[in-house]
Amino acid sequence: MGRYVIRRLLQMIPVFFGATLLIFLMVNVMGDPVAGLCGDRECDPATAARLRAEFGLDQPVWQQYATYMGNVFSGDFGTAFNGQRVTELMAGAFPVTIRLTLVAIVFEIVIGISLGVLTGLRRGRPVDTGVLLMTLVVISIPTFVTGLLLQLLLGVKWGLVKPAVSSAATVDELLVPGLVLASVSLAYVTRLTRTSVAENSRADYVRTAVAKGLPRRRVVSRHLLRNSLIPVVTFIGTDVGALMGGAIVTERIFNIHGVGYQLYQGILRQSSQTVVGFVTVLVLVFLLANLLVDILYAVLDPRIRYA
Amino acid sequence: MPEPLYEPDTAISAGGAGGATDFAVDEGETLEKRPDGGPQGAGPGKPRSLWSDAWRDLRRNPVFIVSGLVIAFLVVISLWPSLIASGNPLQCDLARAQEGSQPGHPFGFDGQGCDVYTRTVYGARTSVTVGVCATLGVALLGSVLGGLAGFFGGGWDALLSRITDVFFGIPVVLGGLVFLSVVTSTTVWPVIGFIVLLGWPQIARIARGSVITAKQNDYVQAARALGASNARMLLRHVTPNAVAPVIVVATIALGTYISLEATLSYLGVGLKPPTVSWGIDLSAASPYVRNAPHMLLWPAGALAVTVLAFIMLGDAVRDALDPKLR
Amino acid sequence: MTAAPASFEPSPALLEVRDLHVEFRTRDGVARAVNGVTYSVAEGETLAVLGESGSGKSVTAQAVMGILDMPPGRITGGEILFQGRDLLKLKEDERREVRGREMAMIFQDALSSLNPVLSVGEQLGEMFVVHRGMSRKDARNKAVELMDRVRIPAARERVGQYPHQFSGGMRQRIMIAMALALEPALIIADEPTTALDVTVQAQVMDLLAELQRELAMGLILITHDLGVVADVADRIAVMYAGRIVETAPVHDIYKAPAHPYTKGLLESIPRLDQKGQELYAIKGLPPNLLHIPPGCAFHPRCPLGRDMCRTDEPPLYDVPDGRGSACHFWQEAHHG
Repeated sequence: MGRYVIRRLLQMIPVFFGATLLIFLMVNVMGDPVAGLCGDRECDPATAARLRAEFGLDQPVWQQYATYMGNVFSGDFGTAFNGQRVTELMAGAFPVTIRLTLVAIVFEIVIGISLGVLTGLRRGRPVDTGVLLMTLVVISIPTFVTGLLLQLLLGVKWGLVKPAVSSAATVDELLVPGLVLASVSLAYVTRLTRTSVAENSRADYVRTAVAKGLPRRRVVSRHLLRNSLIPVVTFIGTDVGALMGGAIVTERIFNIHGVGYQLYQGILRQSSQTVVGFVTVLVLVFLLANLLVDILYAVLDPRIRYA
Repeated sequence: MPEPLYEPDTAISAGGAGGATDFAVDEGETLEKRPDGGPQGAGPGKPRSLWSDAWRDLRRNPVFIVSGLVIAFLVVISLWPSLIASGNPLQCDLARAQEGSQPGHPFGFDGQGCDVYTRTVYGARTSVTVGVCATLGVALLGSVLGGLAGFFGGGWDALLSRITDVFFGIPVVLGGLVFLSVVTSTTVWPVIGFIVLLGWPQIARIARGSVITAKQNDYVQAARALGASNARMLLRHVTPNAVAPVIVVATIALGTYISLEATLSYLGVGLKPPTVSWGIDLSAASPYVRNAPHMLLWPAGALAVTVLAFIMLGDAVRDALDPKLR
Repeated sequence: MTAAPASFEPSPALLEVRDLHVEFRTRDGVARAVNGVTYSVAEGETLAVLGESGSGKSVTAQAVMGILDMPPGRITGGEILFQGRDLLKLKEDERREVRGREMAMIFQDALSSLNPVLSVGEQLGEMFVVHRGMSRKDARNKAVELMDRVRIPAARERVGQYPHQFSGGMRQRIMIAMALALEPALIIADEPTTALDVTVQAQVMDLLAELQRELAMGLILITHDLGVVADVADRIAVMYAGRIVETAPVHDIYKAPAHPYTKGLLESIPRLDQKGQELYAIKGLPPNLLHIPPGCAFHPRCPLGRDMCRTDEPPLYDVPDGRGSACHFWQEAHHG
């Protein structure tokens, strides 16, 4: 078990540096980081050159990357366009996005798994067909359209919820945005659970459990679900990182001042420090979520634990 | 050890967990699979291949027929939009901005006073172009890289696995914002290029997996033992077996790429005017959603139906090619 | 639970299957997997059910256990009398009480038949928790006892391990232990040794036979391996195309089969004393259950086949010494 975790950790390292380098290159090679520093005006050449030297932009890219990563590991993510420390922005934004993501995950678990188990056990029946069709529709409508529609219906037309989220972003304000953020993954969780349950319900060990004379409820909960939910749990785990990265759309629709909002501002104002900083942390979150999933996987499946 | 990573595609694809054999044990199984044998077995005795079997299933599947027709219609109006829309999507009259449905303009007008119906029809071309080109690029790049890595294994395979890990580590929408925010071109190519750049690892993984599975088939091993060359084995034995999963995933991905293009355009980094795109129109419509929801609903509906059609088509093809799930 | 309670009708048989019919709905039509199977098992008796795959032997067993997949399977006729009660008339709840407690099943592939994510101790103990209401701790001790009983070394240390950590033979022992847990009156073993190494097969088979004698259980041994049958079975029922074609005490059948199909099966066993001869094979293919030939299902492959076989379905004729054969010309087969 310990060896397994260490091996996964070691595999993570090159991925972390690869992904951050890729983002770093995209931002620095394609955009002009100095352009954002002079506000809305064009920088005059002298100032630009001075800024370049100051930020080490006249050095080769790989060296810039090394310097940047060195700073990151000592907790210095640089300065945003308005002079605020990037770490300060993060301290304000991440709690909001984490709350939003948690709300979304709860929706995925509660609604997605319930629907998946229900349909998986009733394959081919009308409930199954209906839910399956619904998941396809949800997957087909882009999140931002779902978000705009829900905002229009629930917030504006029926007045059930406030259409925009306050800066406090409390959990009850985040219910609708959380549902929107979760929607596509929720549909995937439903389908994955359904497939997994249906596949496992034909497995030999389920037949054994029936032959043992166990009550149906016990066959389902103890034998069928224990096995079927392994891929689902791992999917949801991996999704944590994807949701935080994808929250940018939801946050924009509902005007939530989270990670996505800050990133969007950073991109609009070409503040490379903000963008690279936030993305680096998101990649790290994504990778840690994956590591967590691997550990979870080993906990749930003894075949991996003792491999 | 299996790769304990599950992308969304495993949710739609079969996801073959080991150890799950059919309940009906050997008896029923052997019956169904055997083409009508027996010396006096009545009925057609023609053995069926995977593809002809799948085609036979598809022709009877209403999901396939409906989604196929929708896609055929989309392709036709992408090629010749003037068939059903006589107006010019770029000809707008600010005086009529936000007006609702009226004779000759069934979908009303958008914020710039352009005819929503005409723009919705012309938007199909952009979406289909992005979807098809991106999918072709992804499928080509992904299956070649993935297939070669799976076939030859070793160091290349390990390197490819790490590279795909890196790409999977970047959230797609985020990557799009960073990558495309600096692009000034108004053509569809940067968006397509970006989708190919971030999309190929998904297909590469699928192709790699199915090539490895195909390679382990007994008859492929036998061909190797008989001294078949690498190229011959790849072309004759491995490719035909690895193609099906790639086609399925690519069809479904086509739908999601269209959706992704719209999302990026909505965020303001995808396509840019004067290109006519549902995503751009949706983005433009969103501030007016309270007063003039029709501006949002029509392109949104068209987008959803298009994506749905491709995903359902992929789903139907998957079901037909994977008898295990029946 | 080894003696039938006196309150039931006196019946010599522990289990009696009468005229059982099972169909499967497939994409290509209705497959008639079981077509009027009749057999019985007495207490302490071992009945071997022999047949190729597709002959309906496993489907019959699943119908008896009540674990047939329905749909696509469907029982279209017949009775399954167990200790005098017709199991097909019981409610699902009552049926469940019978499973595991009074009849148990051993499957072919122990690795896939055991739950991969539960320890063997949990899976064995579950029988006691569910059927006997035992605490988990007591059930665990019972599990260790069972493992000792099927001679798994170091049972107390291994009770917490998972199926994949055991060898094939040990896993099949665990399956046997699970079936024996509540000392049922009847055990159905569906090809219990087919998946095992030849060296292990005999050990597992001996263990099963020994425990069956000890507990005086009825045993239905489903197999396609005539070699296994000779040592352990009392009686044999040979199945073909969903019907019993011959039934007889085990030694009689080896000496003088009374059905051309049985004869063909026996002749196709390689024998050491007939070196150099070409091995006999029954000509033709097993029937397609979607289109079972009319008359005697075996006639297209039968060396004795005549016009009558094409049209008239043979009943199970009585053959002397308590035997039966579903062949119009059984005398010819028997003596010829």
